Amino acid sequence: MKNAFIIGKRVIIQLKGDKRFLALSLIAPLIIIYLLKIVFDIITPELDMPMNEFMPVPIEMPTLATPKFILPVSAFIVHFLSFVLCAILLVQERTRGTLERMLINGYKKTSIIMGYTIGYFGLATLQAILVITEEIYLFKFDFATSTIVILFFVIWLLAIVSVMLGIFISTFARHEGHVFPFIPLIILPSVFLTGVLADPEKLPTWANWLGHLFPLRYANNILTTLTKPEFHYSEFTGDFLILIGYALGLLLLASRTLKESD
Amino acid sequence: MSNSVEINGLNKSYGKLSVLKDVNLNVPEGAIYGLIGPNGAGKTTLIKALVGALKYDSGKISVLNLDPIKNKWDLRRQIGYMPQTPSLYGDLTAFQNISFFGKAHGIKNLEEETNKILAFTELSDRKNDLVRNFSGGMQKRVSLACTLIHKPKIIFLDEPTAAVDPQLKQRTWALFKKLSESGVTIFVSTHLMDEAMLCDKVTILRQGEVLLVDTPHNILVKGKTKITVNRNGTKTELISGSSASALASELKKFGLDKEIQDITFTQDNIENIILDIVDKKK
Ligand SMILES: Nc1ncnc2c1ncn2[C@@H]1O[C@H](COP(=O)(O)OP(=O)(O)OP(=O)(O)O)[C@@H](O)[C@H]1O
Ligand SMILES: [Mg+2]
Repeated sequence: MKNAFIIGKRVIIQLKGDKRFLALSLIAPLIIIYLLKIVFDIITPELDMPMNEFMPVPIEMPTLATPKFILPVSAFIVHFLSFVLCAILLVQERTRGTLERMLINGYKKTSIIMGYTIGYFGLATLQAILVITEEIYLFKFDFATSTIVILFFVIWLLAIVSVMLGIFISTFARHEGHVFPFIPLIILPSVFLTGVLADPEKLPTWANWLGHLFPLRYANNILTTLTKPEFHYSEFTGDFLILIGYALGLLLLASRTLKESD
Repeated sequence: MSNSVEINGLNKSYGKLSVLKDVNLNVPEGAIYGLIGPNGAGKTTLIKALVGALKYDSGKISVLNLDPIKNKWDLRRQIGYMPQTPSLYGDLTAFQNISFFGKAHGIKNLEEETNKILAFTELSDRKNDLVRNFSGGMQKRVSLACTLIHKPKIIFLDEPTAAVDPQLKQRTWALFKKLSESGVTIFVSTHLMDEAMLCDKVTILRQGEVLLVDTPHNILVKGKTKITVNRNGTKTELISGSSASALASELKKFGLDKEIQDITFTQDNIENIILDIVDKKK
């Protein structure tokens, strides 16, 4: 565990040293959300027209409906970025030989995985805070403080799960290029099956079930609940537990699949 | 004296490609042991097997009487490994790289030890610079420092002097000598045949096969010596074996002739002898 913190600290020093990368990974989601906002500004009036079947937002509440759509999208952005960034950085450790060197110097696989998670902890926290602040400001969301806290916690937990997923995927990649096939494999189905675009409960049963494989699904379940006018915490404790379980499961899986030797 | 490394009947193949073929060798404790072979000989593969970074097909390896795979955590505390590629964090300084790898070993006075090793590898004045701005030779030295930080009993160095200029190469070997004198066993691979002279013992590897295990002196003796005898300005050349007895018997032919003014011996250098061995056994 001490070693995990040592590795985490090293990752943080590296992240802090790379100002451009840091700025990009914090600002990119903000820009995307801003783009979303200007697109929404032209779409929302159209929602007043009856029978617009293409919009995932329920037509009966045109303006107030935005959180239901915006929140899953922002969750998706954080999920995607953390996943890809972490996977690529860890693959770099493999190709540059530092992973092997860490292992031979006595760092254990679980320490490395936890270390990376700790390293990204700060970045994920910052990302979650910035994204939520921007959304509340841009879309003038009117949430209770407790809702905002939960909101933050979901996005943050999702970022951690994404980091774990990135680590897990990286164990199958011999070089950076190998990460890319996983993007359509994991990220795109997430868009369709987990509630970013449409309510997954209305999909065919098999697709609905498939959606349960992706962590974004549980994050979105919570987010959707939060946007309901009235909800009870018990409605999403299950989803929270699953997300935490997901993170732990990935930690175990990744420490099995991380190859120590050729 | 006991052996630090013992390899018996080691085999490794990648698919149909047999990379190590029945390799046997013993490294005496405290020796500078050279693993010499051309590109693709299997040097890196063999070193990785020794440090437990590679699963081999059959055979037995013992390093400091431990199995590199079964006892890896015990072993890793006691060995140092310098990979062929620098394997450093370019976005960290030399100091940060060395202390990061040192921390895994829970070294006391890490800062002091890191500074000591920086001085030993002649890096003190650049210790706070990012490694990515270092020249190739300097990166090799940082990599060496990372290998030595925890004072291992045995170090495995994979081509530490490849692409290093002659002066630095000499200084690097001087460091190896110092380490060896302090009791560290050094297992070093190289494709530079002349470095064989600097080792206590060498193994010549080609296409996964051990061609020869011997001391550099005995290898030199396998070469030829050109003897040039100058008798009153007339030079006669003969080619002889390099052993002392072979040279003596050649010279006997001349007796102790008063007219002989000087005799020159030109010995094959070790590079040519090894190249010969590598070529002949094809
Ligand atoms: N992961 C791998 N998969 C397939 N073949 C491999 C792998 N690693 C090494 N080889 C093969 O094993 C042989 C020996 O490689 P190795 O890297 O051990 O040689 P080397 O003596 O270190 O060469 P060099 O001097 O170029 O570093 C080569 O033919 C190489 O192609
Ligand atoms: Mg090699």
